Amino acid sequence: MKDFFRNNGGLLLVIALLLSLLLGITSVFLSGTTDPISNVMTAVTAPFRNGVSAALAWAEGAYEYVFHYEQLHQELSDLKQQVADLEEALRDAEDATRENEQLRALLGLQEKHRDFVFEAVRVSSPSTSNWESTITISKGSAAGIEAGDCVVTETGALVGIVSQVSYSTSVVSTVINTDIEMGGMVSRTYSAGVLEGDFNLMQEGLLRLSYLSDGAQLVAGDEVVTSGMGEIYPSGFVVGRVEAVFSDPSGMTRYAVIQPAVDFSDLIEVFVIKEFSIEN
Amino acid sequence: MTRRALLHKWLIYALALIPIFLLDWAVLPRYPLFGVHPTLLPLAVAAVATLEGPISGAGYGLATGLLWTTTYAGVSSLQVALLTLTGLLVGSATQYVLSQSIWGCLVCSAGALLVQEMLHILFFLFLRTATVDTLVAVAVPEFLWTFVWTAPIYLIYYLIYRKVGGTKLA
Repeated sequence: MKDFFRNNGGLLLVIALLLSLLLGITSVFLSGTTDPISNVMTAVTAPFRNGVSAALAWAEGAYEYVFHYEQLHQELSDLKQQVADLEEALRDAEDATRENEQLRALLGLQEKHRDFVFEAVRVSSPSTSNWESTITISKGSAAGIEAGDCVVTETGALVGIVSQVSYSTSVVSTVINTDIEMGGMVSRTYSAGVLEGDFNLMQEGLLRLSYLSDGAQLVAGDEVVTSGMGEIYPSGFVVGRVEAVFSDPSGMTRYAVIQPAVDFSDLIEVFVIKEFSIEN
Repeated sequence: MTRRALLHKWLIYALALIPIFLLDWAVLPRYPLFGVHPTLLPLAVAAVATLEGPISGAGYGLATGLLWTTTYAGVSSLQVALLTLTGLLVGSATQYVLSQSIWGCLVCSAGALLVQEMLHILFFLFLRTATVDTLVAVAVPEFLWTFVWTAPIYLIYYLIYRKVGGTKLA
């Protein structure tokens, strides 16, 4: 056996084991930041990835224009109607905001102040693994992005959390990935819970809102947002809508299955929240 | 074989990996079939190991494993050792037991993919984050859809082997 391995690449196997160990230990200590070798490889290969992504995006756009023109035209009409409805809702909201400010002044309440620093990034590629749900974005530590930063769409829907950062790219765990855990709440009733990824639900593109109390009020269709509990992640970003509510196997708590607001296969540009502050 | 010829040969093999890498990394994940996309890099290692033997297969596995671990998100560093072992075992199996042909490559690729899927299943079972039926529901389509690519990838490397493989450049 010893001779077999010596004559057939055993030394290479030993080198490979040592390299595996080295890379593994490095990734544990760097936690969230890629090791130097990966940084170099990512920086070298990023232009190829971005080039292929750009070419595919162009090809998909051309395909959609040629074969789905009518569909795109209808989508445009629907979006124009949606914009008109939203403008009307905005006018109502402006009236409500003015009234809110007057009442705050009357009662001597200070306004909550939210400050965000955004970084616009392009989505380079979807998940390269069938066992997790991640996306790769086109900027990394060079742009000030850090592990733990939230990623949102232009409409304020939560895409996920930055899980790994290299110099020029970053990996984002989407909200349905199994390593996601953050405070969430139902926006209608303020019922709070913990947003968690679940492997079984991830295969269906869903996640769960766990540890709901017995008295929690929520129904299918309710909007779920981040709660900002612990002030690790900002509050108020839309995660998705309740699909159904179930009892935990222990019977002690309930959980809701959430349909994310974001279609991860459709993302082109997203925004990383590099800094945020919410002060009274 | 002269050093120059050896370098020339392995440069060609490395260049052959580029389109497979780009296909696996940037193209196929965008267009999943039955909810999964294939994993092509172990197949490249199996093809080279079948044609060039265990030592070359192990070396190619080491390089491919390093590429996989350092450029893909969420890939364990154990893949470096795993792909090296894959190259070594596939090369040995096809050289001493099976045949250095498409059939030997198909059998060994199936074995390599089976090991990959079993490791994934065991990992998630260990973490207790998923049930067996869900894990199998991901592993089986991934195995099948990846296995379909064995022949085309073997063909690419076989065409290269006919030009520069073995000691042809000597």
